[in-house]
Order: sequence, then C-alpha cells, then structure tokens
Amino acid sequence: MIRQRIWHAVAAISMVFAAAQSLKASEQVKVDVAVAKPYLLAGQKQTSYIRVGLTGIPINDTGRRTPVNVAIVLDKSGSMTGEKLRKAKDAALASIDRLGPNDIVAVIAYDQTVDVLVPATKVADRQALRASIERLTAGGSTALFAGVSKGAAEVRKFLDRQRVNRIILLSDGQANVGPSSPGDLGNLGASLIKEGISVTTLGLGLDYNEDLMTQLARKSDGNHYFIQNTSDLARQFKYEFDDVLSVVAQEVTVGITCGPGVRPVRVLGREADITGQTVTTYVNQVYGDQEKYVLLEVEVPAERAGTERNIADVRVSYVNMASKNPDKISRVASSRFTGSPSVVESSMNATVMASAVEQIAVERNKQAVALRDQGKIEEARKVLLDNAAFLSENAVKYNSKELEEYKGKNTKDADSLAPAVWESQRKAILSEQNVRQSQQGQGQDRKKID
Amino acid sequence: MAQQEHEVVENRFREALTGRLRDINTVVLRSVEKRETELLRLLDRGSYETGELRELVRKSPFIHSVFVLDALGNRLHPPPDGPLTDYEREFLERSGQVWRDKQSFYSSSEAAGTGSSHGWYTWYWGNGVNLLFWLRDASGKVIGAECDRSRMLADIVGDLPNSDPSDPDLQGARIALTGGDGAAVYQWGTYEPAANEPPRARLDLNHPLDAWSLLYFAPPAESGQTLGRGMLFNLAAGMAVLVLALIGLASYFYWESTREMREAAERVSFVNQVSHELKTPLTNIRMYAELLEQSLPENDSKATQQLEVIVSESQRLSRLIGNVLTFARKHNDKLALHNTTGNIDQCIQFVLDHFKATLESRGVRAVFTPGAGTTVEFDRDALEQILGNLFSNVEKYAAGGHRMEVTSRQEGSTTSIVISDRGPGIPKGQEEKIFDPFHRLSNKLSDGVTGTGIGLTIARDLARKHGGDLKAVASDIGARFELELHTPQSKSSLKEAQP
Repeated sequence: MIRQRIWHAVAAISMVFAAAQSLKASEQVKVDVAVAKPYLLAGQKQTSYIRVGLTGIPINDTGRRTPVNVAIVLDKSGSMTGEKLRKAKDAALASIDRLGPNDIVAVIAYDQTVDVLVPATKVADRQALRASIERLTAGGSTALFAGVSKGAAEVRKFLDRQRVNRIILLSDGQANVGPSSPGDLGNLGASLIKEGISVTTLGLGLDYNEDLMTQLARKSDGNHYFIQNTSDLARQFKYEFDDVLSVVAQEVTVGITCGPGVRPVRVLGREADITGQTVTTYVNQVYGDQEKYVLLEVEVPAERAGTERNIADVRVSYVNMASKNPDKISRVASSRFTGSPSVVESSMNATVMASAVEQIAVERNKQAVALRDQGKIEEARKVLLDNAAFLSENAVKYNSKELEEYKGKNTKDADSLAPAVWESQRKAILSEQNVRQSQQGQGQDRKKID
Repeated sequence: MAQQEHEVVENRFREALTGRLRDINTVVLRSVEKRETELLRLLDRGSYETGELRELVRKSPFIHSVFVLDALGNRLHPPPDGPLTDYEREFLERSGQVWRDKQSFYSSSEAAGTGSSHGWYTWYWGNGVNLLFWLRDASGKVIGAECDRSRMLADIVGDLPNSDPSDPDLQGARIALTGGDGAAVYQWGTYEPAANEPPRARLDLNHPLDAWSLLYFAPPAESGQTLGRGMLFNLAAGMAVLVLALIGLASYFYWESTREMREAAERVSFVNQVSHELKTPLTNIRMYAELLEQSLPENDSKATQQLEVIVSESQRLSRLIGNVLTFARKHNDKLALHNTTGNIDQCIQFVLDHFKATLESRGVRAVFTPGAGTTVEFDRDALEQILGNLFSNVEKYAAGGHRMEVTSRQEGSTTSIVISDRGPGIPKGQEEKIFDPFHRLSNKLSDGVTGTGIGLTIARDLARKHGGDLKAVASDIGARFELELHTPQSKSSLKEAQP
C-alpha cells in the first residue's frame, strides 16, 4: 500500500516533469505518450495499448505561417455543368483569396483531357488567376488519374519541404479515362507521400467512387470530404484550407521500440512498418490545435507483482515549420505489475482506452460495409448494432463523447442499408471511417486561423 | 492520276503525323530514361544493408520494393531469415512468379546483351504489366527494384503536353497514349474521335513499354489544314524531315562512294548545293525560334522550354550536317585541314561548355583535367568536330553514367586526349567495328536516340588526317576513347620559350 503511494507520487512528479518538458518553447508538437494500463495484472500474459498523441501548437504569428504549394484539381466533366461548376469555381477563388504572396498555387481542370488553367505560380496577379478560372466550362468524361498526375507535376515545380505541398482534388464522378481502380490511385498516393505531397480528395454528390477517393487521401495522408450537397462545397473547401494554412510540423516520424519481451502486435488505424521490436509510422503533417495519434497494440509477458517493466521507448522526430529545424522528442512508457484486479481497473487510462475502442469500432464498421457490399444486409445490420452496443458501453465506461457520437452513427448506419439510401450512406460511412482513423479535423471545433 | 496524287498526299501526311508521334515518343522515352538514370544512381550501391534498403524504399517515390540476389540467385534481401515488414511479405507473394521462374529472369538478364549489366524485366500481375529494373554489380550480385506502375504512368502523363484549348497545334487533333487493353490512359487535343474511329497514325512504344502505343486522330477533311497550323508544329515537322533527309543523304554518300559511279566534280557541286539546301532552312528555323523567344511573355516557361529544345536540336542538326559534309568530302578526297595556332585545353573547354547542360540533364557530370595548355598548331574545327561526336555519343549511350572524364596531355608534338564514361561500355571485340560507318551497337531502350551512324567514322578520319589516331580501348567501366593528334609547337610559342 505504502509502496503504491510512493509510486503514485513518483508518477505524479514525472508527469509534471514531462509536462514541463513538453512546454519547451521551441517545440511545435506536444507529444503525449501513455499506456492503456499503468498497472498490469501479475502472473499472466496480457494485451495493452500505447498511445502517442501529437498535438500541433499553432503558430500565432500569421506572418510566419508555413507557405503553401497547392494544386487545385477540378473536375469539369459533363456532370459538373451548372450549379456544381459555379460553386466549385467560387470555392477555389475564395480559397485563393486566403493565400499570400509567398504561397504558390496551380489550377488544373480535367474532363477526358487535362487543361492546366494556371501553371504553378506565386499568388501575385489575382486578376489573371481569376480570369483563368472563370473561363472554365464543363463537358466530357473523367480523366481523374491524369488530373492528379498533372497536379503533381505542377506541385513538383516548387516542391520544397519547407512548404505545405498538396493537391486538392474535387470530383463528382467515376474515373473513366486512365487508371481508375482504388488500388492504382492508392499506389499513386503512396508514391506522392514519399515526396511529401499529400492529396486531399473532395467527393461531391453521390456518383463519385468513394473507395478510390478515400484510398488516395489515406495513402498520401491527405484529408477526405464527402460533400453531399453542392451548397456545402464552399464550407468544406474552407475547412481544407484551414488545415493547409495551419501546418506546424511535417515529416513526422514516430518510432516505438518495445521493451524486451514486449511484442508489438499491430498499429490500429494507420499503416506502420513493424520489424522485430521496432515499429515506425509516418505522419506527413500535424496541424495547429489538432491531435493526431498513433495507437500500438502490444502483448506484455507475465511478470511478478511489484515489478516494473519498460513497455516501450518512443521517439518522435519532425521538421518544425516555425524554426525550420528538425526537432527530436523522446518518451518512455512503462507499467507496473500488481496482484489486485481492482487497481488494474481503476488505474486504466480512459483516453488511451477510448482511442482503442474507437479504432476497433472503425474496424468492425468496415467489416459491416464489406458484408453489405456482398449483399448480406442482415449480417451487416447485426455487426453495426453490436458495434453500437460496444461503443455505448465503453462511452459510459470511459466517459467519452466521441464514442457516444460514433455509437449514434453506427445505429444510423444499421438503418441505412436498404438499396435506396445505401449509395449516399456508404459515402458518409467511408468518410467517417477516414476521419476517425486519421483524426481529421472537421472544422467545427477549430479556431479561426486568419 | 488525281487518285494517285491523293494517295501521295495521304502518305506524306501519315509520315508527318508519325514523325510527330515519334517526337512525342522521345518525351516518353526521356521520361523512362530519367527513371532509369535515377534507378541506376539509387541501386548502384555496393553494399546491401537491410536497414539502408528499407530506407531506400521508403524514400524513393517510384520504388515499390527492392530485392537482392547473390551470384547464384539466392535471395539476400528481403532477408531470408530475418523479420520482414508487411510490405516485404506482400512483395514476395506478389512476385512469386519471378522467384519460381528465376531461370527465365536470369536468362533474360543475361540475354539482354553482352556486357550489359542492367535492364528492365516485365511480368504480368494484377491488372497489368509490372516493371522490374535490375542491376548486376561486379561481384555478380543482382539488385532489383519493383517500380510503381501508377507512379511511372503519372510521371509520363506529367511530362506529356496539356490540353490547352488555345494551343494551335492541338486544334482539330487528338493524340492518345494507350495501354495494353487499347484504352486511352492519357490523351490531349481538342478533336473528339468517334468511338471506333481508326487513328490516322500509330506508333508502338519500345521496351519496356512494349504494350503501349501512341495514336493520332484527326478528321480526314482537315488534314491539309492541320499540317498548316501552328508555327511550332511546322518547325518540328521541318526538323523531322531534315533528320530523315540527313540519314538518307549519309546512306547515299556511303553507297555511292563504294560504287564510284559519278564524276567527282559532279559530286562536289552536289555537296555544295545540298549544304546550301540544308543550311538555309536550318538558319531560318533558328532565326525564327530566336525571334519567337523575344516575342514571348517573360513568364511563359513552357514555351521557352520548347524553344530551347528547338534551338538545341538545331545545333545538333548543324553538327550532323557538318558530319555528312565531311564524310562526303572525304570520299572525294577533298578533306583538308587548316591548322591555326591555339590552345587545345581552351578548345576542349569550349566544346564541353556547349555540352554541359545536355549532359547534366542526362545524368552525366563532365570532369575535365587539363594538361595541354601550351600554344600549338591544330585545326580547331576538326578537333571540335571530333570532340562533339565523342561527347554526343556519351550523351546518347552513357546517359546516367554519372561521370564523363576528359583528360588532356601534351608531349612534344603530340596531344593525347582521353575521354572515358561510366556507361554500358563497348562490348569486347567491337572496339574496331564501331568505327565502321552505320554500325550500331545495341538495340536497347536507349536506341530511341537518333544519329546518322557516321560520327565515329568521321572522328577517326579527322584524327588520322591530323597525323594521329582515335581508338576505343577496352575498359572495365564504361567506354574509353583515346585520341592522339599531331600538334607541332607553334612558331610564336617557340620564340617565347627561347631565352
């Protein structure tokens, strides 16, 4: 008992120390490392989670904002005619208005061919930019792959690791000229991210291929937005530029080395390289006032009560966009063993557990989609309802509004499996999965940046 | 009669369009070669440490996975006994066919040419062709990289023209790049062909893009007009015709010279006439290109680039014309040298400066170690022509070889210049043959390069005429040419040297 108190004191002191460390003035990312179970039950092998939270500290001085290098790639296929194209032009123009003289923008439009309306250029002559975008008319089919390729070529003209390099792709239809499988576009995204180029995809209406659009965004660490109503286009464009204009760190590498005997099982919701004891994942950018997290499931071997075990050493490195220098931050995660199940239960870290529940729920949600895709509506409904129950239980246990909210969505998903509504619901579901797996900001709880 | 005339026009039109597609093909080839150069640089590493290879895969946008085999074909990477990443496991599954069929991979690598130590290997998996680029090191180990198909295509698309509706070249035409299934993967131009409309011209691409083609669509009625439109197109078509004419002329002179059919006097007048005929349009092309450059808005980088290509290509044509004329004169025994006093090193530097940019764009850095700085007597034009031919060979055949070394030495009345590159080199036993006119070495990808096939012949003839010789010397890395020239010390410099 006394030993336990001493340990609590030590833990408290080290937490204060860690907090002091994370407030070091120069750092642009706050790194929080926590284990799901600070106390593990002695005498048995068990599962735990390590959560590495990365929160961007905003650069408040707007003059020092990270300059951006974006290519806006617009769909001008026949289905965009009228209202859609008008709103897309307006959204693009409004976004460009937020850019400064150090930013670079390119505007590309595609139907079955690709027209580079504005080759990559500094945002100097706004009148000319405006005129180029205004002359856009719609008609034709959808060479989405070529549009992205040309967007990448324009971004590459000014490719610079000190800029936010990004392609913003808007599409309302199925890619039907050139490569058009989610795998092909995913591979292209995975290749672009190696150069530090992310692709954000905006799916407009109900006819685009949500698998393709989410894959492309996921593999390149860009955002994905499902815009059901054309009237929301401007708002979603704004959210995207909120993100683009608030990048505080890039090329973020999270390296986790598990302690002796601790086995890394998998990283939930993100791609990671796991070799032996080492886990490495990459995040292209961290935005101000937004938290991204990496969640690693580990298997900890049995241990006697009273011992302490190093679970993992965590190293986070990133390029600080304010100082333009690389920063390196190290943290240690450890757990103690106790014979008391109640201590294990009461010490559980609610934040880590809630994240784990969230990621597991996303996986189950994906299973439900796969079942629905096979036409197994009833099986899919059951998975979704079970998932909602699982979320509901844990929302209470870990006092999580996020989980409560996702419970509501899963319940609604279970009611939206009929053919008449499935098409739009599927897009909403995939978009939601992506938001939760990549912790994409949704605009609502963000500060105004400029 | 009218029908015949129509056919002639139609044929000529198709030829011009195919020429246009050939120009576009060079863009595709260059894109692939850029890849090849980059892959050679990344894979030529000597050590194959697992961590470094993983870092290579992580950072290289067009490398999906890498593998290393020892000289016996056993896998060294991904580590056969160490822990693998998910990516590596997937790759081994995906490429299972290659491993099961190791012999065919090896035989294709061996067969790719004597002396050749790198190349492309293609296999079908998933929904298309997968490209492997392999490289064999001195110890016989093979490192291979699986290239990302999507990325390769995206880069080619990025290099190909956009569909600018205001571009006069593209009015009333549609050019399409098609993949294995015949469907367009990328296309540009304002003309919309009907669903089953046959293309007016077609060009199949070379290895490793064997399954791909370039198609040219245009409405029949507009053929004449399309040809007439667009200044750039006219320039390009003009150049294509000139190149064809040059190759034809070179062949003509060669065969004629062996047959001794005509009077020398006739030929001299013909050569003079041709030289005039060729040089006038070329001068016009360059003049108009330069005029066009001046009239362009400053920020039009695309057009400026295209003009630079026109200018540098016309310089190349000047060199080719020079070669053909020299060749013709030789066979008329009219080849005479005109010595002037000058500095050999300065002349080498001058020619190098001229080639620097193109060499660098091909991934070759020129390193010059001067050692012939005294004033001697030599034919500056001849030396420039010899060096130009040698350097342009490096540019054409040793792209991506990292380095071209040029050293010069002066001993008494002899100047020696050595030019060595790190390209694929000259296969054993071919060191003499390459000086035969119209001899070509390989039939690899790099053979998209153009040339008349008389560059080395002329370079050697000029060297011999200059009291020296040009030899290709066997070398372990790349090609090595040794040039000797008889260069008596100039009288003025002798005077200076006297006390």
